[in-house]
Amino acid sequence: MQNIIERSIRIQASKAAIYAALTEADKLTQWFPSSVEGDLTPGSQPLFGFGEHGKSRVSIVAAEPHHYFAYRWVPGANHCEGDVSLVATTLVEFRISEAEGGFCEVKVTESGFNELPADIKADAFKQNNQGWDYMVNRLEQLFTEAA
Amino acid sequence: MQAQVFKAMGDPARLTLLSRLASGEGHTIGSLSENLGMSRQGARKQLQVLVAAELIELHKVGRETEVTINIGQLQQARAFIRELERQWDQRLSALKAFVEQTDPSSEADG
Repeated sequence: MQNIIERSIRIQASKAAIYAALTEADKLTQWFPSSVEGDLTPGSQPLFGFGEHGKSRVSIVAAEPHHYFAYRWVPGANHCEGDVSLVATTLVEFRISEAEGGFCEVKVTESGFNELPADIKADAFKQNNQGWDYMVNRLEQLFTEAA
Repeated sequence: MQAQVFKAMGDPARLTLLSRLASGEGHTIGSLSENLGMSRQGARKQLQVLVAAELIELHKVGRETEVTINIGQLQQARAFIRELERQWDQRLSALKAFVEQTDPSSEADG
């Protein structure tokens, strides 16, 4: 399946420090949402605040010290305050691994775009499993053809 | 609206219609639906899905229906994934800046 965004960065810090920055509200709010209402523990649905950009409820899927943290949310939308288990979401996963020279690599993946929403998967992608990349490629082609 | 766009583009017949429009192979329902393996009525139905996603517009011109493509909306769909990637790059940079600035034990734990 090619319906994944994958980004990574190298950080000069310990796995524990990076993990804390992902899973402790007072640290998380220093770099990501500006506020967190609720617990950042698996099964919880805290509300991430993005200041004037609104709020987005996320559903914590897993928290495994000090290497893995995952949640589900509605991508690109900061206005989903309802029960996120009832709507189409993507899965965001953070993986922390040790790299050389006192660095750690943090890899973030966001996946599930071709399940957005369920009826896309049900009818549109029934005959085509390549999902997102397929569409993006088609778009590129359309623009090339149109040019 | 994004979801509608993706749904609209997730069908081979609709993609063919869009492709024909984009490459200038036709600009009426009649010319677009030639050799599409479906009736004119069927093509019209598929075009309505694209209309709902604001990917195209239909205009009645005499007895024909003219179809125009909304390139902006197509670019928006492509831009969506790029925007999400950009956002993650920004967030990871912010994470790096925050952690490296506040973790005094990084050398020891490294």
